[in-house]
Amino acid sequence: MPDPVLLEILKNLLSAVAEEMGVTLGRTAYSPNIKERRDYSCAVFDACADMVAQAAHIPVHLGAMPLSVQACLQRFGRLEEDDIAILNDPFSGGSHLPDITLVSPVYWQGDLLGYVASRAHHADVGGIAPGSMPLARELFQEGLIIPPVKLQRAGVLNEALLELITRNTRTPAERLGDLSAQIAAQHVGIRRLQALAERYQVGVLSEYMLHLQNYAETMMRRLLAEIPAGRYTFRDVLDDDGFGHTDLPICVTVIAHPQKSQETMLTIDFGGSAPQTEGGVNAVYAVTLSAVFYVLRCLLADDSVPTNAGIFRPVQVIAPPGTLVNAQFPASVAAGNVETSQRITDVLLGAFAQALPGRVPAASQGTMNNLTIGASSTAGEGQARFAYYETIGGGMGASATASGLSGAHVHMTNTLNTPCEALEYAYPLRVREYHLRRGSGGAGAQHGGDGLYREIELLADATVTILSERRAHAPYGLFGGQDGAPGENSHFEGETRRILPGKCSFQARRGDRIGIATPGGGGYGDLPQETC
Amino acid sequence: MDSELCSVGVDIGGTFTDLVYRTAQGLRVHKLLTTRQDESLAFLQGLDALEVAAQAQVAHGTTVATNALLEHRGARTALIVTAGFGDILTIGRQARPALYRLSFAPRFCPAPEELTGEVAERVLPTGEILLALDPAEARRVVEECLQRGAESLAVCLLFSFANPQHEQMIGEIAAQCARERQRSLFVSLSSEILPEYREFERASTTVLNAYVAPILGRYLENLEQGLLRRGHRSLWVMQSSGGILSANAARREAVRSLLSGPAAGVTGAFHTARQAGFDHLITFDMGGTSTDVSLLDGAIRRTSEGSVEGWPARTPMMDIHTVGAGGGSIAWVDSGGALRVGPQSAGSQPGPACYGRGGSEAPFTVTDANLLLGRLHPDYFLGGRMRLDRAAAQRSAAPLADRLGMSQLALARGVIRIANAHIEQALRVISVERGFDPRAFTLLPFGGAGPMHALDLAAALHIRQVLIPRYPGVLSALGLTLADYVKDYSQTVMWPLAQTDLGLFRQAFAPLLQRAAHDLAQEGFQPAEIHFEPAVDLRYKGQSFELTIALEVLPEDSSAGAIYQPAALAARLFAAHQQRYGYAVTQAVEVVTVRLAGRGLRPQAEESALPASHAAAKAAAHTEILFDDHFLPAAVYAREHLQPGHKLQGAAMIVQEDATSIIPPGWSGQVDERLNLIFRPTNGTEAADA
Repeated sequence: MPDPVLLEILKNLLSAVAEEMGVTLGRTAYSPNIKERRDYSCAVFDACADMVAQAAHIPVHLGAMPLSVQACLQRFGRLEEDDIAILNDPFSGGSHLPDITLVSPVYWQGDLLGYVASRAHHADVGGIAPGSMPLARELFQEGLIIPPVKLQRAGVLNEALLELITRNTRTPAERLGDLSAQIAAQHVGIRRLQALAERYQVGVLSEYMLHLQNYAETMMRRLLAEIPAGRYTFRDVLDDDGFGHTDLPICVTVIAHPQKSQETMLTIDFGGSAPQTEGGVNAVYAVTLSAVFYVLRCLLADDSVPTNAGIFRPVQVIAPPGTLVNAQFPASVAAGNVETSQRITDVLLGAFAQALPGRVPAASQGTMNNLTIGASSTAGEGQARFAYYETIGGGMGASATASGLSGAHVHMTNTLNTPCEALEYAYPLRVREYHLRRGSGGAGAQHGGDGLYREIELLADATVTILSERRAHAPYGLFGGQDGAPGENSHFEGETRRILPGKCSFQARRGDRIGIATPGGGGYGDLPQETC
Repeated sequence: MDSELCSVGVDIGGTFTDLVYRTAQGLRVHKLLTTRQDESLAFLQGLDALEVAAQAQVAHGTTVATNALLEHRGARTALIVTAGFGDILTIGRQARPALYRLSFAPRFCPAPEELTGEVAERVLPTGEILLALDPAEARRVVEECLQRGAESLAVCLLFSFANPQHEQMIGEIAAQCARERQRSLFVSLSSEILPEYREFERASTTVLNAYVAPILGRYLENLEQGLLRRGHRSLWVMQSSGGILSANAARREAVRSLLSGPAAGVTGAFHTARQAGFDHLITFDMGGTSTDVSLLDGAIRRTSEGSVEGWPARTPMMDIHTVGAGGGSIAWVDSGGALRVGPQSAGSQPGPACYGRGGSEAPFTVTDANLLLGRLHPDYFLGGRMRLDRAAAQRSAAPLADRLGMSQLALARGVIRIANAHIEQALRVISVERGFDPRAFTLLPFGGAGPMHALDLAAALHIRQVLIPRYPGVLSALGLTLADYVKDYSQTVMWPLAQTDLGLFRQAFAPLLQRAAHDLAQEGFQPAEIHFEPAVDLRYKGQSFELTIALEVLPEDSSAGAIYQPAALAARLFAAHQQRYGYAVTQAVEVVTVRLAGRGLRPQAEESALPASHAAAKAAAHTEILFDDHFLPAAVYAREHLQPGHKLQGAAMIVQEDATSIIPPGWSGQVDERLNLIFRPTNGTEAADA
């Protein structure tokens, strides 16, 4: 039995290690995407590569981070002291190419304590479009692929590798700055974990890393015990893949208490989901795991439960290879991480709404509305190269007890916006409008949150790429609540307005405006009866 | 300003109103219960009790503005913004407040949606006007706000810091409309309150100001009348930055006092420590519900990243980190079987179980744990005016101890360890995470509970010196008698550093300097009492967080050339970046904002040193305190009988009306010539880890 006092103290201290890594990374990074939007995560793992603590930043990184550590161990067998491994390969520990992950082992007096990892979304890693969130047909078009390799070996930085990476991006100085920030975060994580080992002894620390996973597992099992035995199925669709393949289904069956032994209390089976497709909406297994992890963590509804591997122990996930939820090499995957992950969350919540009625809200906007505006060096004389990437919030689904938030990021992301005043200083762009889309939330006993409208004027010719969802199929309402309004993308050339598809990439000219209307959240429950 | 050394500090807290009266003869202290209905009552009663002279300067720390915001009792506030950006407050930074929550209760907004107006206009980052404001439209929007009952108006237009013309026009129109309708309307312009970039943060700061200013204004007016009847002609109010403002300035810029609660205490702590010869300090103020932590590296450190209830208030404040662990924090067992402490607190009503006011359901708190371990003496609490009920503490401990299968003493010890771990983490955030090694600092605890936990925390952080001030419980009121007048001015400029020269800096600082000189003269400061503190916010181009670099002289100074040289400024950024983040690079730098603090110096007070006593300290009683696993005999000393030169050895307890200090074995201390207690590990060896 663990000491309940030490359990509480080490729970806080281990999560403080991850938090402090995050503070360091956020503060020292270069790109607005990391500093201002905070698109990064940090985590601590035990010597078996099981996650023991994660700083709460971006849920889509959650389930994926442990696979990064495992991929490094598979590749190298073991990491030596003062090694740092780097990777972004979606098929070997990554999620999509812009997310670059660093993994370091932590040793103390010769003993392996565990690992620390940091993952950050880099604003450009090459590929066919500035911002590296293109509409592509295969992985190779999406940017530089980094399999697990050693960025630092026994304390010596591999400068040649760094040069190779920066040479393959449109913004090398920024990449170097952001990678330096990640290295700084790794160092902080290593030092803090070593300090814990020094203070509490290696054996005690390792033992409590395990106790903390048991603790999260206990909390998870208690929640799962409340679900009546049975099968709960839900199906929703992705609008399209950007290459004409439409209405791509994602299906899930949640089976509660599949065995007598109760070793596995929940099986989550994505059988029936569409085969992987041409465009980048393919999600790798890591992304699917992240969505499952996120939903389970939310259902626990207790902020104090440590976010660690214990949560997963009573759960089995089946994602058939070659489908949208477990794409195989060399599928393009840029949007799988940001868009398909949202739909996976939607179907999971749809299934749990039946399993745990009253605890699950209606669908939220179900997209991140990825907008990239950039110009490469060929854009014309006197033009600076730039790559601006943002994601836009929308309506949250209503719950049994509250209406949905308006104009917020939902589920798999929680990045901040770039202030208009910061954006206009940094890029040849002007924000014309940024406000709620009134009435876009679904009606109901509790109404869904409203989406946003954001309109940006280009002050220079640029390539515009949009990866968005829920333009054709609306976020669902629950128990009589109405659906939220789908989103809509527009391109204004002078007075002419052209409705854009949900996924597109095109050349726009100086003076053009891009308008993104994001979806509203679904309503919850029947509208109150009008009294006559 | 009157330079006679005579001032009184009045700090109003949730339970007590503290007064410190400083005259040439020394300090006098008075403590009375806060009068919640009208806080000015206890304030004035206290002045009467101390027979404060009419010419004394009165400085006040108040949470009236903060409470109005927390309890949603502010003015009915309207907001006018650039057309197309009407939902600026709702959208905020577009993030949801918690990551793993599927549903959120509606959030309080200080400027309701129906009172938000939009005007067509647009200013560019350069300050150029792209679309001119139509005064007729502005008038229509203001009229509409008034019709809907606005008592206060905030105006925040895009890029107004680069060109305030449109905001100023709306301000004038609003004043005129209010006059015509014979309505009172408080107007707050973002370009005046916070002329800095980032529209949401600026709008929020301006709205908070508009929301609380009328409330603070009414309170201060009422108080000033009471003071005037007693012959006091001036009233000063503490701001979040640690400087004081005249009541007149404070009511116009009420947002500047929103986070002032902990500021006076840190000011008092800094003064006390400097007199004792220490200027690198980590302070912690442990009260009933929370602990405020700050670090001083020869100066008080400031930040502008404050917020209240999630609403940013970006005016300068002390860099203070707060953690929800205090004497009243409640111990409980969560469903995973871990022992937890806080963040729920028993507060002062009903308070910890041992106060005997909570009946049989009273929760077990940190204070109860301290009592069971012998770290609080039942006979000496609040100067013996309140007897602590040990049996009640045991009753509240029993169910928790049973559930965890621990003895009550093990439980109590665990509760203290967890509370200490929370505070230790806060101490690390303020030191290690900011790039400072805590071992190079002196720990200075204050607040009623601080000195009870200080030496254990010092041991955990390997801090080798602890200073316990003479009056740990009234340090805020003391700080109020000492704080300088400080008014802060800023302006976002966003220049590439390489393209700057001295002339450009002079141009940018000139209007700030002019306003500062004007304001300080108005408050009655003579040129010799005025000090200007320029600073610049710098960052690497492309980064979005700035570091504030304090500069020694104004750009018009004869020695400014070397300091304001681009290469010299870049070097300062590199050094600051290295210190804070552990690395620096050579890259293009931007000047984001220029800042100026206008300081009106108050006479510096010196408490006179007392002669050393050669007698030994006499214990008032003996007790037993649990350290690690054993009860050890410990002497109990009465603080008021300790004389300079007295030496103390752990294990010991020092009792006084406003605090209890615990000295574990392995620590020894001495009373200094101003009656502070200074502790160090015995024999220079490190004290054992708690």
